[in-house]
Amino acid sequence: MARLIINCRQAHWLLSRERDAPLRWSERLALRLHLRVCDWCRIVRRNFAFLSQAARRLDR
Amino acid sequence: MLLRIARLQLRNDAWAEDAVSETVVAAMEGMAAFRAQSEIRTWVVGILKHKIIDQFRRRSREIQIGAHEQAAEADTLEQLFDEGGHRVSAPLEWGDPESQLVRSEFFAVLQACLDQLPAPLARIFLLREWLELDTPQICKEMKVTSTNCFVMLYRARLRLRECLESNWFAAQGGRPHG
Repeated sequence: MARLIINCRQAHWLLSRERDAPLRWSERLALRLHLRVCDWCRIVRRNFAFLSQAARRLDR
Repeated sequence: MLLRIARLQLRNDAWAEDAVSETVVAAMEGMAAFRAQSEIRTWVVGILKHKIIDQFRRRSREIQIGAHEQAAEADTLEQLFDEGGHRVSAPLEWGDPESQLVRSEFFAVLQACLDQLPAPLARIFLLREWLELDTPQICKEMKVTSTNCFVMLYRARLRLRECLESNWFAAQGGRPHG
């Protein structure tokens, strides 16, 4: 993904992938730019973090 | 409880029972060394995790991802975005994990959401987020390309996010943003 302007769908994809592997610098930059202007994707990022925390406690 | 988790992970009752009984045997053998209940629990869950990973390795050839399951998957998620790739509805703010994650009702909903996922997605999600295996290891075990691996994790997360939102957070008075 060489483009720096990404839409929400692409941002969601990167928000998931960043939890599994390091993003390329261009992807990180594109995501950061998108998050700066998109409240909804910032929420989804927090939702994903929440989900990880919840999964880790499934056996508690 | 152990059996429920193992079953969710392995999606096969016989294998789950194998994993749990191996765990119990291993636990009995080492029980003497522990005093506190909580220590025992953590330790038993630790053993179970290893046993599930063992089972998973042994059975990985029997666990294959159905192409049809993946195709059906794509449709559900496409509805989240419009043609230009913008989200069509606002996600809810879920609030502070610390206050939600002490509630056992929350975990009942999470379990139900995991049960609703196609089996391969639930499995890969739990390998990644519960057992905390790293992605190259998971892809290797599941014998899928890393791209496929990322796609499955992405779908699992989005589906779980939607499911938790409509079945838990919406009822908790979460506010849509913007």
